[in-house]
Amino acid sequence: MDKPSTVAAVDVEALERDALAAVSGAADGTQLDEARVRYLGRKSPLKLALREVRDRESGMALNALRERIEEALEARRVELERPAADPSFDPTLPGVEIPRGTYHLITQLRRRIEDVFIGMGYEIFDGLEVDTVENNFDALNTPEPHPSRDPRDTFYINDQAVLRTHTSPSQIRTMQASEPPVYIASLGRTYRRDTIDATHTPIFHQVEALAVDRDITLADLRGTMRAFAEAIFGGTREVRMRTSFFPFTEPSVEFDMTCFMCDGAGCSLCKHSGWIEMGGAGEVDPNVLEYVGYDPNEWQGFAWGLGIDRIAATLHGLPDLRLFWENDIRFLSQF
Amino acid sequence: MKVPASWLREYVDFGLPLEDLARKLVFTSCEVDRIVPRGVPDVDGNLGKFLVGKVLEAGKHPNADRLQLCLVDVGEGEPRQIVCGAWNFGAGATVAVALPGALLPGAEEPLGEAKLRGELSRGMILSEDEVDLGLDHSGIMVLGDDYEPGTPLAEVLPLTDDVLEIETGFNRPDLASIYGIAREVAAVTGGTLTAPPGRDPERAGEEPVDVRVEDFVGCPRYVGRLFRGATIGESPHWLKARLLAAGMRPISNVVDVTNYVMLALGSPLHAFDLTRLDEGRIVVRRAHAGEKMRTLDGQERELTPDDLVIADASHPVAIAGIMGGEESEVRPETTDLLLEAANFDPLTVLRTSRRLRLRTESSTRWEKGVDPYAAEQAAIYATQLFVELAGARWTGHTDVNDGLPERPRVTLEPELADRLSGLQIPVEEQVERLEAIGFDVDGRNVTVPTWRARDVTRPVDLVEEVVRFRIEEIPSTLPDRPAKPAQLTREQRLRRQVEDVLVGAGFYEAYTWTLVPEAEGRIPLQEPYTAELAALRDTLEHWLVESARRNRNAGVERIALFELARVFLPSDDVLPEERWHVAGIVDGGYSVAKGAVETLHRAFHVEPDYSVVDLRELDEGWGYFEIDLDSLFPRVPEVVLYEDVITYPVVKQDLAFVVDERVNAGELVEEARRAAGPELREMRPFDVYRGEQAGPGKKSIAFAVSFQSPERTLSDEDAAGLRRRIVEALEQRFGAVLRA
Repeated sequence: MDKPSTVAAVDVEALERDALAAVSGAADGTQLDEARVRYLGRKSPLKLALREVRDRESGMALNALRERIEEALEARRVELERPAADPSFDPTLPGVEIPRGTYHLITQLRRRIEDVFIGMGYEIFDGLEVDTVENNFDALNTPEPHPSRDPRDTFYINDQAVLRTHTSPSQIRTMQASEPPVYIASLGRTYRRDTIDATHTPIFHQVEALAVDRDITLADLRGTMRAFAEAIFGGTREVRMRTSFFPFTEPSVEFDMTCFMCDGAGCSLCKHSGWIEMGGAGEVDPNVLEYVGYDPNEWQGFAWGLGIDRIAATLHGLPDLRLFWENDIRFLSQF
Repeated sequence: MKVPASWLREYVDFGLPLEDLARKLVFTSCEVDRIVPRGVPDVDGNLGKFLVGKVLEAGKHPNADRLQLCLVDVGEGEPRQIVCGAWNFGAGATVAVALPGALLPGAEEPLGEAKLRGELSRGMILSEDEVDLGLDHSGIMVLGDDYEPGTPLAEVLPLTDDVLEIETGFNRPDLASIYGIAREVAAVTGGTLTAPPGRDPERAGEEPVDVRVEDFVGCPRYVGRLFRGATIGESPHWLKARLLAAGMRPISNVVDVTNYVMLALGSPLHAFDLTRLDEGRIVVRRAHAGEKMRTLDGQERELTPDDLVIADASHPVAIAGIMGGEESEVRPETTDLLLEAANFDPLTVLRTSRRLRLRTESSTRWEKGVDPYAAEQAAIYATQLFVELAGARWTGHTDVNDGLPERPRVTLEPELADRLSGLQIPVEEQVERLEAIGFDVDGRNVTVPTWRARDVTRPVDLVEEVVRFRIEEIPSTLPDRPAKPAQLTREQRLRRQVEDVLVGAGFYEAYTWTLVPEAEGRIPLQEPYTAELAALRDTLEHWLVESARRNRNAGVERIALFELARVFLPSDDVLPEERWHVAGIVDGGYSVAKGAVETLHRAFHVEPDYSVVDLRELDEGWGYFEIDLDSLFPRVPEVVLYEDVITYPVVKQDLAFVVDERVNAGELVEEARRAAGPELREMRPFDVYRGEQAGPGKKSIAFAVSFQSPERTLSDEDAAGLRRRIVEALEQRFGAVLRA
């Protein structure tokens, strides 16, 4: 059946044509109101027809027409209210500048990392930047011959205190402060007596994650690292583990993730290996658990740590880590 | 550690390309940083352009006094004319020749035919440094006469090699030798491992060796051997090439052998000139206080009773495990030797090495712990090479020890491997893997090989030895735990808010060094990093100001920096007191800094407490503030409670008071609040006037005042009453006069 051009004795098409012409022809608000009354007012042909209509199909057609006219009225109203074109007005001039500061790149990344861990149900633990030699080394199963204890590598405050060389003393402080299970991440400044150059600064930042529960395995470690890598770098990331050694984990691994620039295909960022080194990890050594009074037959878990300065530098394409410390506003204001 | 592939292949046969081997090692054993080709590039038949040559004729170049003109047979039938700058050979010498087109190590362009002073030179007679076989450039290499001209040089000399650069972990001192790596490679690849290198030659005498160990803690074992009639000279090219490839400099045959055997077997050795040892005696003891000796590097070293020394009958001749003494060193005229193959305690060596700031190839090995069982095999191998390469006679042997440590026994807990790894590894496989790396397994009893005795002492250590071979197969899972809400702590949340407020207010966040120059009240480092970075900061000011200066010098237009970080204050404890501070430096001086402080406090709904806020204008015109957040945060309300500021209207008035100069606005506001009570909602100074109308020594402060009640609409009478109370109180307390 052809679409009826006449519905309930109203010529829909003609009515629409007239109404839209009147709307678009309205030169000001008054004329627009007149058009509204003529075509949508109580005594308008459309309203009268609507009142009479009995069948559903006709009702729908008339209502649709009413909506189209209302839309046109509204559009024309907005159009008429816009200020008249002023030849002296240049809309391309900038607005009044409202000063805006920026977060340091490390803060930006730190917050993202904290939020990822919060999302996984980990508390964020603030350790101390100066901690005891005991917490920084002994409790972490790092005996005297270990090279990291050498005053040539570590900043000693006195014989019993150091600027922490890693965020790992947070593991000890958290576990001593609470009963298992424990799920925490700890972020902050760490210190090593490195020579300052483009890829080393004596102060840098680490993130540490610790999960101790009844059955936390290396597989959980790998999965967690992967979840982390995907959250921070996006996309689908693979994580691989390689055998390594850290005094406070056994077994110990280093972990890599597929390069976020090339997704593993090989590029200049990953030196054509497809992988980017992330950090070190492992199952918490039973000596560490015993030190804090956890029974290693009952509790086990993973710990991992990585430096975040290099990640931030890589993400933003910085050529030199010293930029983080120079506080050049021309640099800071870029981000 | 640098591992020449040719050397590794001598001990283990691994049927794998080097790259594949490296990849396997990376997962199971140690880092392989890279594989570096060495010597003559093995590309496009390049090796075929290096041949043995026989010099048929040699004489002075007709046009150059310093050059020789030679005719050399390289097995082509027709001899080649070659111009050579060396004079350490003549007709009849067997030499190494590179033909035109040959690519030498490090060269970008192949060798060409050239006319030298008018004579054509169709090749090059090689010196050892030109092909990475030694360091000598004073003459060319003269080879043994038994090589036929035309023999490929690569069959005679180790012309080309690849070097694996390996990083070994602190826990694997057993990997600090070529043989140790070979043992690992055999386990990883299933390749066949040879017996350790070295066979004792026949002994040419039964001389006693006078070795007295007075300190078995510092020196659990000392193997001493005597040699007579050695000829000190250069080492053969194969040995020099290997030392160089492994990163050590050749010195002389005897010294090179001690270094070579150390690299091969991991147990450092030392050779003394026997005739320079007082009474030919070795005494291993602690140094006497104030005792001195001059080490091989020419340095005079003062020793302490913590240091272990090797002494002769009267004085120290070596610092044990670190460096030999100059006086007893092997010289060209030396003939009689005492070889030391000992074992030293890691901590003793470490402490002395740290104190003296003296690290050597040998000390870094002892620090990690060397297998005491390795000493004997090292002595045997060195003996063999002394005899073969220096023509020495071996005439005496002793092995002084206090009993060698027994191999540790550890219980295998096969379920532990599964529990920690997330894999299922059958017990049979675990046993097999342990046996492949030298562990003896009898049921659940595991005996650890001597070279792993330091590292493997617990069941969990066995887990690593098994799991590392399957590390790539470990799946990805997430901890299976009940969902638990986590959130930032209150302090963490508030610190973020501080950052948010300041960034919103236009400040750039800075990160500055924790370390500052030493000063009164600052905790110094035991050893400064630099003069500028020598103590813990007690405020954030030092580097923040420095950062502002740098920006100003760089021409930055708007300077506004803040930092949120910790400061460190002296305490009675071992640890300093750490406090969180926020500081800012900003253009516009005091009032802008104060504005920032006020904005920050408004955000936290507290009034600034200026006893814990440092607020100043700096000499250079910047405003500076520093706030102790650990004092601020406890005052921040947990929850801000609703007050009705909407229902009833505000009555606004401006009031100006003339007061003495010494009265400040804050005192007036405080007094007004006391007088008017809570219905005085706000009283904000907006103008200060000094001049004739105020009178000398006086000022007029104008306040914008608003009254509001949360309970009712204030009438005109109410407002007038409040105003009157304020005016009266200020007049009474400060002599303030309301200006009409």
